[in-house]
Amino acid sequence: MPVVQQLFNEPISSHAFNADLSQVVVSNSSPNTHVMKKGPDGNYSVSNTLEQHLERVTSVDWAPTTNRIVTCAGDRNAYVWNYQEDTGSWKPCLVLLRINRAATFVRWSPQEDRFAVGSGARLLSICYFDPENNWWVSKHIKKPIRSTILCVSWHPSNHLIAVGSCDFKCRVFSAALKEMSDKPQTSTWMPKLSKFGTLLAEFDTNSGWVHGVHFSPSGTLLAWVAHDSSVNLVNSTNLEKVHTVHTSYLPYCCVLWLSEESIVVAGHSNSPDLYKVTPDKLEFGAKLDVKKQKSSNSNMSAMDRFKKLDVQGQAEEAATTLETTHANCITEIRSISTANNKVTKFSTSGKDGRLVVWELDNICSLIAGLQI
Amino acid sequence: MSKAVDSRQFRTIDIDAYDEEAYQDDKSTDVTGSQEHSLQVSERAAQVKQLLNTSKCGDALTLALKDPPIGHLDASVKDQNYQTVMSVLKAFRTTDIDSAINSLSAPEVDVLMKYLYKGFSCSPDKAASLLLWHEKAVKKGGLGSIVRVMVDRKGV
Repeated sequence: MPVVQQLFNEPISSHAFNADLSQVVVSNSSPNTHVMKKGPDGNYSVSNTLEQHLERVTSVDWAPTTNRIVTCAGDRNAYVWNYQEDTGSWKPCLVLLRINRAATFVRWSPQEDRFAVGSGARLLSICYFDPENNWWVSKHIKKPIRSTILCVSWHPSNHLIAVGSCDFKCRVFSAALKEMSDKPQTSTWMPKLSKFGTLLAEFDTNSGWVHGVHFSPSGTLLAWVAHDSSVNLVNSTNLEKVHTVHTSYLPYCCVLWLSEESIVVAGHSNSPDLYKVTPDKLEFGAKLDVKKQKSSNSNMSAMDRFKKLDVQGQAEEAATTLETTHANCITEIRSISTANNKVTKFSTSGKDGRLVVWELDNICSLIAGLQI
Repeated sequence: MSKAVDSRQFRTIDIDAYDEEAYQDDKSTDVTGSQEHSLQVSERAAQVKQLLNTSKCGDALTLALKDPPIGHLDASVKDQNYQTVMSVLKAFRTTDIDSAINSLSAPEVDVLMKYLYKGFSCSPDKAASLLLWHEKAVKKGGLGSIVRVMVDRKGV
């Protein structure tokens, strides 16, 4: 059974766990970000509030090893928060984004020495620390992005980045920084060494905003979900062939690789779905939100039926109970724990203000024959 | 104060048109007014008519939904194809609609959805029969097929 916690009565825009899952940073529809600690009953409750932004916080990320939080908001700013052991509070550090529109998405790179911020200013800011002035400075990637950036994913090598935006395209850029003494290697995505900001690949989704993008654990495969209810996949060894599944569900908003062969997507259908990846195709696996079925036609005596008719106006149980664990669109999905290169637990948060932790072993046992 | 202050002319300017960075749709994949495409549509109209006369409704439907002139700059070509599709839909008996839709492939259901929605806006008088088709098409294509009609920028 997924562990559900109703954190707020308003949408959660973003959440991120720390390394040992004892704390989670959550942003709801306010300028304040909440750091929540896990209590003895297993529920998270607010321990710190990070107040610095002036507009709604759109995205947060927690760097597990260096223990830093980065938040970005609609006030065109981002802050990096460092934990002060002596006072038990988080101290903000300014980030010079130099954007003239709201920031929409932020992610730490795999080595946590830089982070990427997508914004409505149609550009991607890659930010790194400048020790001379004790702030974070950014370098922009502008061409050829033509609309708001909705999502960003770092390649495991730390210097390639995939960007999904509202101009219906998913792109891969080189983000190798001379300032950080990067020594990039050539790879299937970057056959020859390219400087910062070079467009390495561009994929068209045929008029659907790209809501979520994610590199596979090895970095060879790239998956993205778009607003035309499609799930797309490309292998860097064959960039011409994009595998697409046009689903019959409502559009997905976020995507996460569970292993090299399976991805989980979630979105407007309020529940996570599994898709299987084989070398030649992408196909639907299973819906992961399974509930133990209640026996619907319990033997009701005639007396009970009339009683129910009298009180409720109908004899049968109306379809008013929610079938899904989330009550509204799921906007973010995070991997919480992994074992053997496979994700064993992931968490989702959505517009219903709930944070749900899903355990794959439980789900696999409920769905017969499911393998991740 | 000058007379220009009273003028409301500035409120009629489309300021977004002057924004150099405004998003423009990628027109390179648009089908330009090529002769062969409009020929294809006219040929298809004739073939479909023939199939309907010999009451091969299922084949007529598949043919009518093939290669829609998406993004074609010539509106009359799109119109003609639209009329072809409408004539096929009209020719079906209510009981046959189910089996016809089941025999369509997923992309064909998407194209059918696009024409259904075009029908809702262009021919509201036919809405009753189109709604019947819509109900059955949604059973096959799901909500995703409706979403794809909504995000389509070029129009069928």
